[in-house]
Amino acid sequence: MSTVDATLPGSSIFWGPGKDANELEAVPTVRALKSEHPHAILGITDFRGDLSVTIRPDDLLLVAQTLKIHPELQYDMLVDLCGMDDLLLGRTPRFRCIYHFYSTTQKHRVRLEVPLDDAKPSVDSLTPLWKSANWAEREAYDMFGFDFVNHPDLRRILTHEEFVGFPLRKDYPADRRHMLSRTYSAFPGLPAEHEGRQVVLGQDGLERVYVNIGPSHPATHGTLRVQALLDGERIADSRTEIGYLHRCFEKMCETHTYTQVFPFTDRLNYISAFNNNVAWAMTVEKLMQVEVPSRAIWIRTILMEFNRIMDHLVCIGTNLVDMGALTNFWYFFSPREKIYELIEACCGARLTVSYGRVGGVAQDVPENFIEHARATANAIPEFIEYVHQLATKNVIFQQRTRGVGVVTRENAISWGWTGPVGRASGLNYDVRRAHPYGGYETLDFDVPVRTEGDTFSRYMVRMEEMRQSLRIIHQMLDRGIPEGPHIVDDYRVALPEKNSVYTNIEALMNHFKLIMHGFSPPVGEVYSYIESANGEQGFYLVSDGTGKPYRLHNRAPSFYTFAANDEMLRGQMVADFVAILGTLNIIAGELDR
Amino acid sequence: MSSTMPTGVPAPGLPSEPKREGWLTTQLESYVNWGRKNALWPMPFGTACCAIEFMSVVSSHYDLSRFGAEVVRFSPRQSDLMIVAGTVVDKMGPVLKQIWDQMPDPKWCIAMGVCASSGGFYRAYHVMQGIDEIVPVDIYVPGCPPTPEGLIHGIMKLQEMIARGETRSQIAMKAGDPAELATAEDAARRAIAALEDGKLKALADAGRKAS
Repeated sequence: MSTVDATLPGSSIFWGPGKDANELEAVPTVRALKSEHPHAILGITDFRGDLSVTIRPDDLLLVAQTLKIHPELQYDMLVDLCGMDDLLLGRTPRFRCIYHFYSTTQKHRVRLEVPLDDAKPSVDSLTPLWKSANWAEREAYDMFGFDFVNHPDLRRILTHEEFVGFPLRKDYPADRRHMLSRTYSAFPGLPAEHEGRQVVLGQDGLERVYVNIGPSHPATHGTLRVQALLDGERIADSRTEIGYLHRCFEKMCETHTYTQVFPFTDRLNYISAFNNNVAWAMTVEKLMQVEVPSRAIWIRTILMEFNRIMDHLVCIGTNLVDMGALTNFWYFFSPREKIYELIEACCGARLTVSYGRVGGVAQDVPENFIEHARATANAIPEFIEYVHQLATKNVIFQQRTRGVGVVTRENAISWGWTGPVGRASGLNYDVRRAHPYGGYETLDFDVPVRTEGDTFSRYMVRMEEMRQSLRIIHQMLDRGIPEGPHIVDDYRVALPEKNSVYTNIEALMNHFKLIMHGFSPPVGEVYSYIESANGEQGFYLVSDGTGKPYRLHNRAPSFYTFAANDEMLRGQMVADFVAILGTLNIIAGELDR
Repeated sequence: MSSTMPTGVPAPGLPSEPKREGWLTTQLESYVNWGRKNALWPMPFGTACCAIEFMSVVSSHYDLSRFGAEVVRFSPRQSDLMIVAGTVVDKMGPVLKQIWDQMPDPKWCIAMGVCASSGGFYRAYHVMQGIDEIVPVDIYVPGCPPTPEGLIHGIMKLQEMIARGETRSQIAMKAGDPAELATAEDAARRAIAALEDGKLKALADAGRKAS
């Protein structure tokens, strides 16, 4: 009996089958690249619906330019960039640089692979074309030691200044640490005696003051650091320093089995942990072509929307605290506790849930789930209304947020902004709408988009998204819980029933193998993504057919959002820094990974 | 236990035979520690997931103020309890040390969660394997993250240790610079003596009136 309900399409529809050589010829990207740069292409593949083009490193800049400006392609967003070390795969050359592009107008994607020389991995920087390349290339330099020619500021970003070696290379041991002796200035090349707070003379003969904000500062919510050069009350220049929570997520995943990766994904965006669980599960499901039962999709979609609400509650609550409105924080933590209770009833954990599994969820929801979820959902609007009354129409709040920290639509796309921050800048892109998964195409909801791009609009988009999430939750609850199992009946990935483990030798052995060795997906590379609370949460997974991921890269929305920080802050009042930072909702766990 | 007066103290107003020397040297410290344990000013050094649970602990549902520790200060100079909530990575190490050094004595440190206690499941190239590599820790709270009840339990345990004078900071202060300690104790002793004097005079006056 099929466990898949037609009204809740499974995730397989989302990616579709791979294309053969003839079908590939018809793809606009392939056609355009073959006609424009026939000599640059080293290979074209399509695996699980991911189009991937390998090109010669010398031609990267020209090919990227074609991708961006060709009228049929219009890849206006560099979604992600990461390095790759093929040492253990035995390929030559050893290194690759991987680029993921997306067109917000044509809604298509392509992956570029650029093989790099073993001895001197070097390639042109894409910073002249996309602003998002700036930090992403610094990360690839930090992790793999790639040299990006013409990069404006190529230095370490996640690890500290006294770090030696490139940790994501395969010959670097996962636990080799290097101690840091002191804190360094975020302004590179600053003399040691200028570090810390220091008054300096500008070229106009007026005084400038260095102010260090963070990484332990009440407004930075964790571990962000901005060093600002102040001209009076205005920020003349600033440097954003990250990496104060770089927990080596990607290296850790390479040393754990596929199921053991779930707890690590919890701790990426720990405010809405379940969304990361689903993003990771869907990545492996895409690689292994596992069809998820309707019941699991139903549970996932409801809990993902609750997590989205929870994320926005914290973001707005703490943002308002920073602007001096403490009451809203208490108002918003109250429903958050209620959502915690619902999640705790499902999986026993409040924050870091580890509830997702490949092929479904870890266990079934409790019997009274629908009533419990409905009561929780019904309790939330009251608090949203309180905060609307307290903050939204408040004159002080409006004056502090309207027209502050403006990011235009073009800049937002160039920086790779997705999620609420992108939609507040007029970028109408929501993965749930553009590339539906988990039954979103059957649901009635609005995607709030505003055009101002300021702090106020980012706040308003989040407030409205909470309402829309509630609409989704109510629609799903009205449909009732689909019959069937909560996890796919597939011995490759799902644990057998505990009953049969005790009574049946095959089930016992299967259980033992899955627990001790995990499962081994086929060889291949996939990129899968969902709309998490902060935007496009993507995983680029490379499998070598063993029980552990060969390489896993997380495309974290916060990382690309925060990269724009210095440009946004220039010319702003220093007091507005905290208001701007709060609406970006930077979560250090996924920023630094 | 938590909010009662230290045992062995004569009830106020009824000193039958005040032995002033002994009373001052043995009881002053327990009075001071009783005050210290019920007025903790936490400074949250929140870095990661545990900081979110810390927010739950201080907000209305779990309400840390019931335990006399709600005055959260983000300045280390105004606080005496550092709660390290979350993973501390090597890049953060010098920052943590600097903030700890800025806190005035006596001061206490709680490692909230397994990352702060031992590095947790991040046995990795950039993660400190427990903050006790660089700062002294009084209480380790297990969990990833600990439940709010877990953290509250840790704070109550710390309060018991403070009452008994067993925390690292208190032990170090006892063994620390004698001159500085003597000045502080001297001042306290004089203050108490003045109080006692006043109280005795009042009692004597009352006695004279009664007779």
